[in-house]
Amino acid sequence: MSLYEGAVKKPIMTSLIFLAITIIGLFSLSKLAIDLYPDIDTNMIMVMTTYPGASAEDIENNVTRPIENTLNSVEHLKHITTSSSENISTVTLEFEYGYDIDALTNDTRDKLDMVSAALPDACNTPYIFKFSTDMIPILVLSVSAEESQAALYKILDDEVANPLARIDGVGTVTIYGAPQREINVYMDPQKMEAYNLTVEAVSSAISAENLNVSGGSFDIGNNTYTLRIEGEFDSPQQMNDIIVAHSPSGAAVYLRDVARVVDGVEERAQEAYTNGKQGAMIVVQKQSGANSVNIARKVKERMPELQKTLPSDVKLGVIVDTSDNIVTTIGTLVETIVLALLFVVLVVFVFLGRWRATVIIAITIPLSLVASFIYLYITGGSLNMISMSCLTIAIGNVVDDAIVVLENVTTHIERGSEPKQAAIHGTNEVAISVIASTLTMIAVFFPLTMITGMTGVLFKQLGWMMCVIMTVSTVSALSFTPMLCGQMLKLQKKPSKLFLALYKPIQNFLDKMDAAYARMLNRAVRHRKAVMTIVIGLAVVLAAISYPWIESEYFPANDNGRIGATIELPMGTRVDKAKLVAQALEKKWRDRYPNYFKVINYRVGQAGENAGAMAGMSSNGSHIISFNMSLVDSNERAVGLAKICDEMRADCKEMPEIAKYQIMMGGQQGGGMGGQNTAEFEIYGYSFTETDQVSHALADSLRNTPGVVEVVISRSDYEPRYVVDFDREKLALHGLNFSTAATYVRDRIYGSTATQYREDGEEYDVRVRYEPLERVSIESIENMMLYSSTGDAVRVKDVGEVKEGWTLPTIERKDRQRMVSVSAVLADGYVLSQGVAAGNAILSRMDIPQNVSVQVAGSYEDQMDANKDMGTLFVLIVILVFIVMAAQFESLTYPFIIILAIPFAIVGILVLLALTGTNLNIMSMMGGIMLAGIVVKNGIVLIDYTQLMRERGYGLIQSAVKAGRSRLRPVLMTTLTTILGMVPMAVGTGVGAEMWRPLGVSVIGGLTVGTIMTLIYVPTMFCIFGGVGIKRQRRALKKQRELNDYYVAHKDKMVRDRTGKRVED
Amino acid sequence: MKSIMIMYDQAFQEKIVDLLTRQNCRGFSCWPQVQGRGTKTGEPHMGTHAWPSMCSAIMTVVPDEKVDGLLEKLHALDMETEMLGLRAFVWTIEKTI
Repeated sequence: MSLYEGAVKKPIMTSLIFLAITIIGLFSLSKLAIDLYPDIDTNMIMVMTTYPGASAEDIENNVTRPIENTLNSVEHLKHITTSSSENISTVTLEFEYGYDIDALTNDTRDKLDMVSAALPDACNTPYIFKFSTDMIPILVLSVSAEESQAALYKILDDEVANPLARIDGVGTVTIYGAPQREINVYMDPQKMEAYNLTVEAVSSAISAENLNVSGGSFDIGNNTYTLRIEGEFDSPQQMNDIIVAHSPSGAAVYLRDVARVVDGVEERAQEAYTNGKQGAMIVVQKQSGANSVNIARKVKERMPELQKTLPSDVKLGVIVDTSDNIVTTIGTLVETIVLALLFVVLVVFVFLGRWRATVIIAITIPLSLVASFIYLYITGGSLNMISMSCLTIAIGNVVDDAIVVLENVTTHIERGSEPKQAAIHGTNEVAISVIASTLTMIAVFFPLTMITGMTGVLFKQLGWMMCVIMTVSTVSALSFTPMLCGQMLKLQKKPSKLFLALYKPIQNFLDKMDAAYARMLNRAVRHRKAVMTIVIGLAVVLAAISYPWIESEYFPANDNGRIGATIELPMGTRVDKAKLVAQALEKKWRDRYPNYFKVINYRVGQAGENAGAMAGMSSNGSHIISFNMSLVDSNERAVGLAKICDEMRADCKEMPEIAKYQIMMGGQQGGGMGGQNTAEFEIYGYSFTETDQVSHALADSLRNTPGVVEVVISRSDYEPRYVVDFDREKLALHGLNFSTAATYVRDRIYGSTATQYREDGEEYDVRVRYEPLERVSIESIENMMLYSSTGDAVRVKDVGEVKEGWTLPTIERKDRQRMVSVSAVLADGYVLSQGVAAGNAILSRMDIPQNVSVQVAGSYEDQMDANKDMGTLFVLIVILVFIVMAAQFESLTYPFIIILAIPFAIVGILVLLALTGTNLNIMSMMGGIMLAGIVVKNGIVLIDYTQLMRERGYGLIQSAVKAGRSRLRPVLMTTLTTILGMVPMAVGTGVGAEMWRPLGVSVIGGLTVGTIMTLIYVPTMFCIFGGVGIKRQRRALKKQRELNDYYVAHKDKMVRDRTGKRVED
Repeated sequence: MKSIMIMYDQAFQEKIVDLLTRQNCRGFSCWPQVQGRGTKTGEPHMGTHAWPSMCSAIMTVVPDEKVDGLLEKLHALDMETEMLGLRAFVWTIEKTI
């Protein structure tokens, strides 16, 4: 018993099986995580190494380069980028996509172990840091506080961060902008000298006093007791009473005599302001694989409760909630899907004119879609923009199989079959072509699962989902649909009056359309050459006209309502000044768009030593202001995000006190996914002067280029610094070596961490160093006293010199060469290719030194890679589709005719992109690739039926015209379902709609033009090839006949008799 | 004894078996997949790409008096849905075992 026969004969089993699928699907749906993008397999590893006190160049030479040289041999490495700045070296390894990052991390760790021994002693062990989308904060909370400011860190840590971190799925909770408690021991240099005391001695004295020791156990009588000797301080002030030395007279010198113990906060810390009020920020990150939307909801649910436990002046708020954007974006997509479903059902009703058939289609569509949720749940996927748009795309396609089956079953019923019999035999007849058409779709979508790189990330899920959906839809078309047909369809013996009144006009229109098309086709196939010339000529002309109007970009910009900005004042500017500038900017922006900003948050000042990894990665300094703004949803704004950013840049340009600015649309740097278009140029060269010269020249010219709104040079300005230049001979003379001398200086300025002070289970650093006022002049360094091992004292100025100089705060390297990047952000409406062209033009005019090379990188590089990937993919898909069709028709000619529809579809894409002013980007290319499968379907239907007519004995032209007339409705119906399914995508205005609009536009354009052309050229081409075939056949027959005649005439001469003699002889 | 050979579109299968049962014709032999085409009208039933539908054939051997009634019923069935196609042929059975 075949699948469909079994299904029709066992309706209960069939419907329950599909009901089970639906239930499991809905269950999976309820468990699915919601996110913006599919999980992006991380391909980056960062190795961070701290070397406290070292300058950028020291770090570069002693830490970064050894690490870089060793890690360079890790397999599958694409780029190795490093940045060496004061105290910290960051080595970023970027791997090729598609390799197991855990294995690569292990390789990296092994290699790091090898190099660790070669690193300087004071250097901390390098630690590995894996990048992933999970690191992007899902929620940023603001905290404003007044009286509680000083203790804010502790309050937030205990009352907010810890409870939040306990929520299921929350990864880390970090507090910014609230300085941490620190016990500072400020030494008076004069008094220290008087007692011959050093910071080191004091530090070890404090550490020796702050101790709890276990004394073992001992027995008293029958009992055993443990013994403890407890010396840890109960309060920081106890330290004042530590005896740190003895005076020459033998009197005890207490710490309070030479130092001041201050129980305060770390000296250098960032200040955060939210909507003008000072406070802190709490950043919530999720655990990998957790559901951002759920976590954000849970966190927000907890907030009112947490608020109650806080002091009355501490107020919690939300600065950034990424889940908002996700929820609205997915909401928009759900609307799109529902609209698409409605459109498709409407089209089916208009064309079939039967409500029962329409109901069957309406039941089968969601079934296939729901099945894809099971796939997502099993593979750990999420509901995201890609999977949701996949559903929209699928709606138009899943109906096709069902429609083919339904149509044939209806024909059988009309001929008089019992519905059940009609369902079995009707399905049997079309099963092969249904499977073949699914195979063409799978030929398109399966290769998508194999691509790697960024494009792979986006398309892998789409590819698999489409394959799953198409397979399920085919299985359901061959089992569920026939079963429903058998149960629901009936021979319509007398249509109701209401139905006739409503449907008659539609019927008439469709009939007229059929007739008109047949007439047109009849004329076309009789003027084949003219028609083909016109069709091809028209396509070429349309393509030629529209192509120059289309600009290319990598990824459509996504308006997520977030803006990040980094404003730099001249190096060395004090925090107070930076604060004023920040306030002025905030006021300006708020005045311009009073209702647009939900939150404006900024941070100023230098991050403290303990500020955590995130602060280490973002630049900070007393002169830098980091803004973080969130705006209302894009559909509640009249002005787009890109325009607002452009205006902000103009504001920054106007303010003379701003040295550099960077406005980041979407909240993060780079134009990769969803940001503004940024043309990036990398300048390689060892010499700082040469590369500086080139980068500045390039940046200056780019700034004057129309369309460029912001130019950023990655190398920051030189930072003022003082260098202590020790004379080694003099040091040796005093019994000192370089490292001892250096440590002495470092401990006095940076401080030496003596011990940890414990209170309520928390540990706070106790740091010993000079009084702040003794650390503000060169003299104070020059007058520092150094002690040799023998106790000899000498001042710094006697053994060395304190010199003023400039230094680079960060040295960047890429692929083991020093590098500066110049990135030009393009204004709204300008595209990447224009920016890169402008940059290249400038570079070709420039005189570039010999040792310097320039390369275009960044998203342009990605775009080029992606274009190459897409090109290969396209060719692969076309070949696969061809193979499937050739196998189906057992012919090479027909697939060739059909595949010609693809160029026409491309023309259609170009025309509609040009008309709507949409850019050519990854999304529109994806549309093009999908079209390769969709547009050939029409050709298949037409050729298949024409061939059938030929087999039934009709002439060439008659077959073409009859088949055209008969297949016009199915072709239009399947095309319209796909196009109308895409319309909500192409015209959507909801949040995030700008992302997939290009996809919708290209599918609609390509499919419309492709289908119209297919309807004209396929029958014509069929006749051309058929004509040629017939002529060839006739020639062959004629030849055969002539040969035969010749043989018969000369038979006697050629044939020998039994004796071997020629008959004639 | 007469044998009746009935050729019909597959879709008739259940109806014909039903009809035979009602007429008290218990015995029959059936060929579910038969190719064929009518002499004058009707679509060929070839099971090919061009003519995908198929016929079935049933042969039943009945007493003489049942033949007319059966043919009548079969004709009525054919008339109901002419497009599907149904034909019956009768010939004599000379001997059986």
